[in-house]
Amino acid sequence: MRPASRPAALPSLLKSTTFRLALSYLGIFTVSAVALLALVSWSTSTFIEWQVQETVEAEAVGLSEQYRERGIKGLAEIVGERARSDTERRTVYLLVSPQDERIAGNLFGWPADELEVDGWLRFSIERVGEGRFATEVTARNYTLPDGYRLLVGRSLHDAKRVKSAINRALAWGLALTILLGIVGGYLTSRHLLQRVYAMSRTARRIVGGDMTSRMSSSGAGDEFDQLAETFNEMMDQIERLVESIRTVTDNVAHDLRTPLNRLRSRIDVALLSDTDAAGLRQTLEETQAEADNLLATFNALLTISHAESSTEGFELVDPARLAADAVELYEPLAEEKGIVIRLDAAPDLTIKAERHLLFQALANLVDNAIKYTPAGGTATVTVAAAPTGVAITVADSGPGIPPASREAVLDRFVRLDSTRSTPGNGLGLALVAAVARQHGAALTLGDNDPGLRITLAFRADS
Amino acid sequence: MRILLIEDDQEAAAYMAKGLKEAGHTVDHAANGTDGLFLATSERYDVMVVDRMLPGLDGLSIIQSIRAAGNATPVLVLSALGKVDDRVKGLKAGGDDYMVKPYAFAELSARIEALGRRSGGGQAETRLRVEDLEMDLLARTVQRAGKAIDLQPREFRLLEYLMRHAGQVVTRTMLLENVWEYHFDPQTNLIDVHISRLRQKVDKDFDPPLIQTVRGSGYSLRAAR
Repeated sequence: MRPASRPAALPSLLKSTTFRLALSYLGIFTVSAVALLALVSWSTSTFIEWQVQETVEAEAVGLSEQYRERGIKGLAEIVGERARSDTERRTVYLLVSPQDERIAGNLFGWPADELEVDGWLRFSIERVGEGRFATEVTARNYTLPDGYRLLVGRSLHDAKRVKSAINRALAWGLALTILLGIVGGYLTSRHLLQRVYAMSRTARRIVGGDMTSRMSSSGAGDEFDQLAETFNEMMDQIERLVESIRTVTDNVAHDLRTPLNRLRSRIDVALLSDTDAAGLRQTLEETQAEADNLLATFNALLTISHAESSTEGFELVDPARLAADAVELYEPLAEEKGIVIRLDAAPDLTIKAERHLLFQALANLVDNAIKYTPAGGTATVTVAAAPTGVAITVADSGPGIPPASREAVLDRFVRLDSTRSTPGNGLGLALVAAVARQHGAALTLGDNDPGLRITLAFRADS
Repeated sequence: MRILLIEDDQEAAAYMAKGLKEAGHTVDHAANGTDGLFLATSERYDVMVVDRMLPGLDGLSIIQSIRAAGNATPVLVLSALGKVDDRVKGLKAGGDDYMVKPYAFAELSARIEALGRRSGGGQAETRLRVEDLEMDLLARTVQRAGKAIDLQPREFRLLEYLMRHAGQVVTRTMLLENVWEYHFDPQTNLIDVHISRLRQKVDKDFDPPLIQTVRGSGYSLRAAR
């Protein structure tokens, strides 16, 4: 394993997806948090200012009632009273005559640096509270019917303090949010990527040769679990295939070693003993026969692998013609063994097939039927239209195959005759199975009561 | 016969050349496609054996070149590719016969013999004759020493093939391919049984026997010496 590809070392953390994910998560998070807090800040400050103006207007309404009831004298009195009682100058009052002479109030003169905003004046004054300090005032001026002017205002000092307290709280909130965003983003993405890393580690173990490794599932049934499940299914399938290839290879090696050993020892014996020319010739001929068997086995293996990999060379074939040829070819052999071979083929059927391979499969079936049927028995080849297409059946009256072994005999080199006394290489039915798969035909092994009944069911268009 | 062998596998080529020389042939060997094409176009041969996969120039291109030049020498194509479409390609390119590796030397030798004879004859015959055995291809009748022999259609074709290749070794595979027209491997001594039936009709009541068994190879139709 290359160290560079191992996750979680600190320098690589900056490059890691965890970091990038956390960062982009944080970016989005911060932008939205700032926008939200700015909105909150803006609306509270508007609200506070509105509240100050409300207070000023309420004050002005109170004073105007006094004016209506008691005239300018009463107004001057009440203004003076109120100005005196507000020692901290939270609220400012000023009543001036039409000649701009100050009559009452806690302002000494009409503010010079006034600023008009929507009918509201804004200016600075000096306030007394805990010491003296400057503050801004928002105020409204009213002109009374007889030319007197009244100014009522309120210091913005307290409002500003509230506003800044709120803004401070918001800033802390923002900082905390960002911090939580960093930590949360990191933890979340690390949690997700840890599962990705776990998967990558599992895959590496498998690459390293541990075919039994599987991905773990969190049990949440989320997308990662689905991925892990699919991956595990894929690995199971691969393991099955590898296993079957290994079995085949082992079998091939084993089944070819035996005749090769025999061949070799026959030559050894001939070399050691004082055999005459005729004896040597005999040995050579036996060796030749042995080599021919080996060649036949190799060819059968090649034919099977060809059937398994190729879908070329297909043509329209008359199955009845094929069956008739096979029966005709094997009939003398059957007769020699005292077996009757019958043909029952429906005419005018066609299937799409690789003619030579299909004939080989059919020949293998007929050959087996003759081989395993005792003298006096019957073998039957039937070609008939089936609901799905065309069915070719080879049935015999031999011992049959027990249901439990029917699957196994389709594998390469499997022979039920453990003594291996009957001739054959254990590839006959494996080839039939391969040809059936190649042609998309269903292969069924059934009971002929007594005997074996093998059907190749071709699809109508196949 | 004069045989050109184009095969890059030195060991296989040496072994083949030795076997063919022992059978009385003259053998020239080329180890790559370019030398092969040069020999094929500059010399006259009775049969050429061409491997499909060669360094330089592949086997099928060689065959196409010599056929394009009007050279009709029979060619046997050797190949590790045994698929049917490969076989078809080999024959389409101008090959006369096709053999898949691994093969037995006896098979190769018999096929070369068969190809060599083919290049000699040529005109359509209507009667075949070997010793006192006579076949009328038009009337589809056979008689030996003047006595009619009744044959099934397939037996007739089997005997016809043997008679056409009289004196040569004919392998079981050749019989399957030419008489039954299927490329397949019988798992049992099928052909032997058919031959023994034919013997019953052709040899049993006559002398000398004509159908000979060649051990390890196949059969040959000729008078026993």
